[in-house]
Amino acid sequence: MNTAAPFDRLMDLVSAGDPLSAGDLSQLASTPDILPLGMLADVVRRRLHGTQVTYLRVALCAFDKLFTDAVLPAAREVRITGTPGTLDGAVTAVEAARAVAGERAVSGFSWMDVEKLAGQAGTSAALVLERLRSAGLDAVAELPMDRIDNLAEVLDRLVAARFQHVRLTIDKSPAAARTALVLHAAELQTRFACIQALSPLPTALNAMRPTTGYDDVKTVAIARLAAPNIPSIQVDWLRYGPKLAQVALTFGADDVDNVTAADDAPDGTRRAPLEDVRRNIKAAGFEPAERDGRFALIA
Amino acid sequence: MMINEIAQKVMGGGRVDRAEAIELYRHAPTHLLGHLADAIRARKHPGRIVTYIIDRNVNYTNVCVARCNFCAFYRPVGSSEGYVLGFEEIFTKIDETIAVGGNQLLLQGGHNPDLPIAWYEDLFRSVKARYPTFKLHALSPPEVLHISRLNEIPVPQVIERLIAAGLDSIPGGGAEILVDRVRKLLNCYGKASSDEWLDVMRHAHVAGLRTTATMMYGTVETDEERIEHLMRLREVQDETGGFTAFITWSYQPEHTERGGTEATGVDYLRTLALARIVLDNFDNLQASWVTQGGKVGQLSLAYGANDMGSVMIEENVVRAAGASYCMDELEIVVNIEDAGFIPKRRNMHYEVLGDPIFRERDVPRMLSLATARAGGDSSVPEELQNYPARSRRAKQQRASIGD
Ligand code: SF4
Repeated sequence: MNTAAPFDRLMDLVSAGDPLSAGDLSQLASTPDILPLGMLADVVRRRLHGTQVTYLRVALCAFDKLFTDAVLPAAREVRITGTPGTLDGAVTAVEAARAVAGERAVSGFSWMDVEKLAGQAGTSAALVLERLRSAGLDAVAELPMDRIDNLAEVLDRLVAARFQHVRLTIDKSPAAARTALVLHAAELQTRFACIQALSPLPTALNAMRPTTGYDDVKTVAIARLAAPNIPSIQVDWLRYGPKLAQVALTFGADDVDNVTAADDAPDGTRRAPLEDVRRNIKAAGFEPAERDGRFALIA
Repeated sequence: MMINEIAQKVMGGGRVDRAEAIELYRHAPTHLLGHLADAIRARKHPGRIVTYIIDRNVNYTNVCVARCNFCAFYRPVGSSEGYVLGFEEIFTKIDETIAVGGNQLLLQGGHNPDLPIAWYEDLFRSVKARYPTFKLHALSPPEVLHISRLNEIPVPQVIERLIAAGLDSIPGGGAEILVDRVRKLLNCYGKASSDEWLDVMRHAHVAGLRTTATMMYGTVETDEERIEHLMRLREVQDETGGFTAFITWSYQPEHTERGGTEATGVDYLRTLALARIVLDNFDNLQASWVTQGGKVGQLSLAYGANDMGSVMIEENVVRAAGASYCMDELEIVVNIEDAGFIPKRRNMHYEVLGDPIFRERDVPRMLSLATARAGGDSSVPEELQNYPARSRRAKQQRASIGD
């Protein structure tokens, strides 16, 4: 906070609910001074969500495995993992997931999968979306902004195929390129108003070159500031772990995605079950609230 | 006082009292705590330098009679999993440490009743004879007390003898929470009461040694007791000025008798920041990336830490309790630079030694932590037969060496 005057100006802007300019955002993204950035993002997240942090318990299930084995009663969303080789295979997987999910949301696949299935079936992405939606798919699980050339067109198709609650992701774009992606998403939101959440941390993790803590919290805070018109900024509990996910809540994130639905800790000691999620949210100074896969709070 | 007034006092260089510290800890927003701690860090270390040390955390024995209920590392006397490292094994570890640019061992272990003071003296002397400039940061206060009690020699004399044998500095381990109510509940009051722990440090400082101080939080203590701990350290530091650094970490519950859960990452950052604010007479605060992971470890630099601790070559104690993070020098340096700081190597006195060693010469990368011993190695070092044992099992073992 050695740049007091500019900080006050930015604080006035975000407190009034005004957006920050691309120039301000890129300057914030380039400074190592993360605390002022976190304070600004926190103002936006509190304006939108107060002290509430939502979390979603997800059952992950490979498309070719038995959904009945993987889907626990506590899961609020069934997420299909992997990519079937054919459109029929994908439809079969969605139907199987839907049969087990009941009323719960079913998500799966990535935009690249949709295009691949379209190419393989010799049809259009629009038709693939239509078939998957009719089979019971509620959401395309990964819409990586950095791998989609024409995001406007993709959103258009998703809306046409009756996909609500769109969730945008980032595959592996470097930190420096993420601000522009989020600004673009915010701009499209003014047109489509279908984006419910943005998960700004990369989904493709490089074990040899992991992102840093600074990178992660800056990315979350910049996303919150750059897209105040997108309701939720998410952090993935399973991928990023309790410690980083929790700290991200103080940097603008308001939704914890991908919490394991199991009561034990099958993914290792640092991937904790329900009580730990709630404990972490409370210890960060927020109120935990469970939501379902359609972003509705569970009473 | 209101949070804002306390914050202004801290920004003006004022010292917080107990009531103010508790008010900040309980009610200040996390970013504000970080901001205050960061301002103090910047005042004390204006050059944006963040230091680290290349050393090796060697646990010379895991046999321990103390039986702290938060410890997953120790084995009782007579356990088939108990070990004592041989001098040759320790020399090999020193060779490996020197190969990656290290200049120090952090040598700590259990309270083994079968190691008389002569064993420590001979070990230190033989290390110094072989590696004259190599440093020994060894034996936390409860170990010094254990040696004092076992050999019936007063603490000042134990310290004097160990210094004469080659001890360079004392690590601040075994402090846990310096409040006797807590120590009794953790079953670590017997190994050292709060006063005893602090007295060993006083004696060490008077004898000319510099030491560190630590705090393990997240077991049974209250917020007030954490602050009491910090206050007691601050008082001794006012008296002696002998502490070089403060290191805090969260209790690691896995495989311990006590069990329970680990305090969260935000708890850690708040505790670290509070320590920076309360311990206004400590120059250095280490980030505990070993318990918090590389990411929160790096974020510590925004919450008051100015030191990334040790490039760990080996770690046994927190690993036994579930923490298994590993960073070699390259990763530590990348994390420091990524956070906008300038990385410098240091010694245990926190004197800057130079730039990263891997930029000066080729060093092997270390992608996993070494252990005290390879699994299944139950060998008994030959030199142990030169030292009298107390326990029946150790007597039998030593009698059979060389058979
Ligand atoms: S913490 Fe140290 S003194 Fe306590 S049981 Fe473990 S090894 Fe022994």
